[in-house]
Amino acid sequence: MEETDEQVQASPREEPAEVQPLSMAATLAICSGGWLIPGLGHILLRRWIRGPIFAACVLLMFSLGIAMEGKLYDLQFDEPLHVFAFIANAGAGALYILAGRLNLGIGIMTAPSYDYGTTFLWVCGLLNYLIVLDAFDIAQGRKP
Amino acid sequence: MTLSHFEALLIFALVVSTVFALITKNTPREQFRYGVFVFLSFLAVALAVGWIMYPLPL
Repeated sequence: MEETDEQVQASPREEPAEVQPLSMAATLAICSGGWLIPGLGHILLRRWIRGPIFAACVLLMFSLGIAMEGKLYDLQFDEPLHVFAFIANAGAGALYILAGRLNLGIGIMTAPSYDYGTTFLWVCGLLNYLIVLDAFDIAQGRKP
Repeated sequence: MTLSHFEALLIFALVVSTVFALITKNTPREQFRYGVFVFLSFLAVALAVGWIMYPLPL
């Protein structure tokens, strides 16, 4: 059994065997790209499988959130709790900006799926933050 | 677009468990196992909480 595990680990995989830490400037550039376009950070780090999967997950959740009449929050300080919703939504990066330009994500409260859609939009942005942090760790050589 | 509660739960659990598995584990085998575990946990907890709340007059 141990030989099998060793063989699996020795076989060529998605991730390169040795991870060299990148400079902080390059890391921040990769993280910015990953925030703006979900999955791009991993693609730039040559994680050819993880990157597209992350992109598909975030895009799927965002699309479903919009289709379910979810609401995208703007930055409004008169409603303090909405700031947290804005931070969550903004995690989607370019998708959030694009949806705002296209007047999507208005949020129809009378729609039965409004709550689900809004939750999908929040979680999609929060997941992208986690994905960006993962790209940061990879770029800094903290994980393969 | 209207999804049922369970359909929305399935999609939510599938996406979140996929991302969690890819982020937290390194080898494909670990990722698959952890992803399935998180996915099934989402479903089990949601069904359990749903049945617990069922008799409550909400």
